Amino acid sequence: MEFLSSLISMPWLDYSISGLVIGSIYALMAVGLALIFGVANLINFAHGAVFTVGAYIGWTCLVGLGLPLGVTIVAVAAVSGGVGALIEWLAIRPLNRQSRIAPLLATIGVALMLDQIIHIVFSPTPRALPANIPDWRIAVGNGTIGAIDITIFATAVISAAALYAFLFRTKLGMAVRATAQDDDAAKQMGVNINAVNMTVFGIAGALGGIAGLLVGLYYNSIDPNASFQMMLKGMVAIVIGGMANVPGAIGGGLILGLIESWGIGLFGASYRNLFAFVLLLVMLLFRPNGIFARGKERAAEPMTGTFVTQTKAITLPRPLIWVLIGVAVILPMANMPYITQVMTNAYLYGLAALALTLVSGTVGLVSIGHAALVAIGAYASALLTTKGLPVSLGIVIGGAAAALIGTALAYPAFRLRGHYVAIGTLALGEIVALVILNWEGVTNGALGVFAIPPLEIFGLPLYGTKASYWFVLALMLGMAGLQVRLLKSHLGRTWKAIREDTVAAETYGVSSNYYKGLAFGFAGFTAGIAGAVTAHQWSFINYDSFNLLFSVLILTMAILGGLGNVSGAILGAILVAALPEMFRTLAEYRMLFYGAALVILIRFRPQGLLGSG
Amino acid sequence: MTTKRSLPTFTRRGFGALAGATMLTAALPAFAQTSGEPVYIGVSGPKTGLHAQYGALWVQGFDLALDKINGEGGINGRPLEYIFEDSQNDPRQTIAIAQKFIADPKIVAEAGDFSSTSSMAASPLYQRGGLVQFGFTNSHPDFTKTGDYMWSNSIPQSQEQPLYADFAVNTLGLKKIGVMYLNTDWGKTSKDLFASAAEEMGAEIVAAEGYLADEKDFRATLVRLRDAAPDGIMLESYYSDGALIVRQLRDLGIDVPILATGSIYSPDFLELAGDAAEGVFTSVYYAPQSPRPEVVEFRQGFLDKYGEEPNHFNALAYDAFNILAAVMREYGTGREEIKDGLGKISGISSVLFETVSFDPETRRVSGPEVTPIVVKDGAFTIYTPEQG
Repeated sequence: MEFLSSLISMPWLDYSISGLVIGSIYALMAVGLALIFGVANLINFAHGAVFTVGAYIGWTCLVGLGLPLGVTIVAVAAVSGGVGALIEWLAIRPLNRQSRIAPLLATIGVALMLDQIIHIVFSPTPRALPANIPDWRIAVGNGTIGAIDITIFATAVISAAALYAFLFRTKLGMAVRATAQDDDAAKQMGVNINAVNMTVFGIAGALGGIAGLLVGLYYNSIDPNASFQMMLKGMVAIVIGGMANVPGAIGGGLILGLIESWGIGLFGASYRNLFAFVLLLVMLLFRPNGIFARGKERAAEPMTGTFVTQTKAITLPRPLIWVLIGVAVILPMANMPYITQVMTNAYLYGLAALALTLVSGTVGLVSIGHAALVAIGAYASALLTTKGLPVSLGIVIGGAAAALIGTALAYPAFRLRGHYVAIGTLALGEIVALVILNWEGVTNGALGVFAIPPLEIFGLPLYGTKASYWFVLALMLGMAGLQVRLLKSHLGRTWKAIREDTVAAETYGVSSNYYKGLAFGFAGFTAGIAGAVTAHQWSFINYDSFNLLFSVLILTMAILGGLGNVSGAILGAILVAALPEMFRTLAEYRMLFYGAALVILIRFRPQGLLGSG
Repeated sequence: MTTKRSLPTFTRRGFGALAGATMLTAALPAFAQTSGEPVYIGVSGPKTGLHAQYGALWVQGFDLALDKINGEGGINGRPLEYIFEDSQNDPRQTIAIAQKFIADPKIVAEAGDFSSTSSMAASPLYQRGGLVQFGFTNSHPDFTKTGDYMWSNSIPQSQEQPLYADFAVNTLGLKKIGVMYLNTDWGKTSKDLFASAAEEMGAEIVAAEGYLADEKDFRATLVRLRDAAPDGIMLESYYSDGALIVRQLRDLGIDVPILATGSIYSPDFLELAGDAAEGVFTSVYYAPQSPRPEVVEFRQGFLDKYGEEPNHFNALAYDAFNILAAVMREYGTGREEIKDGLGKISGISSVLFETVSFDPETRRVSGPEVTPIVVKDGAFTIYTPEQG
């Protein structure tokens, strides 16, 4: 009742205005993303980083050099357009013939590098971005809107309109559309598709940079960490508006802003991102072509099978495997606790990567929400054992909880394909983290879970550095062995059949949802125990312990090793966990090298080190 | 992103100087030279990643502290140095770093990490390994509870929030308070403690709105807050989000008094918030205008070395090293000696507190006091009730 009355008495106008203001920012972000998706069929994760580059070029011109705003805008557009084109040339073009996932990961690597360069050049502290913009404000409802609010909105609309005109009214625009539809055919008709792609990335980059400048002016604050969140909101907006629909992106951004704002009005700000990601998921499931699409035509699905690069997997000779296992077992004897701890961490990553390589590689559902499974396992075990349950039981229940809840959550996403699975699982990962944050009665909300009992099995303490190392190693090898057995059974063949061609598999009487569920269940169990063990090792976890970056990291490991490849996942985990440790002496430059390593690996060995299985 | 924060701990500095330095200068030539094997403090903190800015602020504070400590003869003649391991504020990395420090006999004490998640993940290791973990940004109430090797000069919210409530209710006379809080362990705990203290003093909490750490847009949330008709607003925020909120609040036409935790006490807050910062109240342990010699020396030294005003994370780092140095000078550089020394030492003066001593039970600073501050003409000035 109280809810109903607040629904009626709510100052809708004020909330709508604030929704439209933030919505225009999302729209501005979304226009560039939609443009790139339309041409390259790719979500450009580096778009957020270009946004940050624009903001800092703006700062350099306005504050550092004292240039007028007009000159600044031109400089920002030129530099960030150049950065956009450079991304296409360096990271996208060479991957033209690779699997779909390769360029997506390359953009993540580029984003890491760009963000880190900004960190190094400008320091990570937020800075003010003051400018001489008129400071008149118009009263609307009980609030006000100012010149910059209107500028942002107008820029979004004008740029979308200009792009639309460009795409549908000019000859170069036709070339762009032709390239998007079929680049081979376009090439045959004499279109220089490389130039077209580069132009599009340049335009999108310029728009992203200007968005960064305007948003920085709006908040009078720029910081190098804002980019990823902004990119995600832009992504939600294009899903709402239709992935490649440029004018739709404006609508998508505004709708997202309005829904967030109304949701905050009704439930509070902690739920903001929850609304955004639930909306994303609902759209993917029911209107995958966006809210503005006519009819319900199905999204093109050319990606089944091609989403994972196919190669012949390298099988490690058996004696080598035994030697490696032997080395791993005696490693703690070297009495180097630091190395032992780093390797324990690597094996925990390895467990999570095993799970991911099964669903993403073997079954072909590329997931960017893997942290959710790990988090469910961690929380289940942490909450139960702090209430008195023995740790060994907690770990098993953690695995089971992740298997059950994870499969149930992912079930609706089983019908999605290709990129949509990646985006959908990303949303699921965020939703799980936000539920953990907001469900205070059960999860302790923002406070996290403290004083989680240390690792032990039936009263045998395992929290010593060496003991926990051997325990985690045994768990990882056990689960890896089990997974290898499963892959060799009929299950493994069925999973691969579903990945290669779901329709054909269904025709043969394979119930694909059932087998996808089995894969998710097994993977959820593995990931869940990885989370549970981590929780007992840290003694403290909170909603942010397993976040989106963690998901991206695990995916990087699986891809690095070769999607679907069991020993590859372990190798990938060890490399990714150990590389940053090796780069530790490089301090600030560490993430830069890490991003570069990612880009180079994808460029030269997209099928992973050991080949995909 | 569960950064925990601690009140502006700006003040540290001089304690060791006074005790140690006066003694040393008496005994040694005027420009004390250090020699021999350095004494190492291990620092675990973010140099890259989302919280890299805080690690950068720490380094400024540490380096300034070392200039002073080593200029005064180091630790009884041995130079004090530190080894900074980048943890990215990530618990996976803090536990690995903990193993590294514990195994390295050079390291006599550890400082950091930044957030509760990452610091407390490593606490059981430091406790078992017998190495002091000095968490100078860890105001999380549970931080020092893992064991007797966890110490902090950061004031837990249970001590500081009642001081804010007292200022809001009894000094500013607020009756209906709206609270905006960062929805992390730090912000949530602060909000709860503030609310219960304020209600005890007779005020009403008419709204309490949480927000996520990476949020930039607060307009919708502020509409909610406005409709609760508060006569004053309390911000449990850091300086960057605090500045955004204050700007958007004034843009929405809300003009009631604003009080914010001491973590907004940073020159960057003034710059980011612009004109909207005018009239915002806060209170701090360190006030740069303070005539105390430790504060003057810290601020002047910082301005000379870096050409900018220090903020409270600089002072936290500076104080942390000076406290550890004072303990080492007096009680020795053994790991055990440092742990015991922290419980025994008293009367160190610092930038943040007039005198520092630790309660050996809670391993927190005893009896801190705050200075009320208001932003006036674009600067933080000490508030006196007569100003009105």
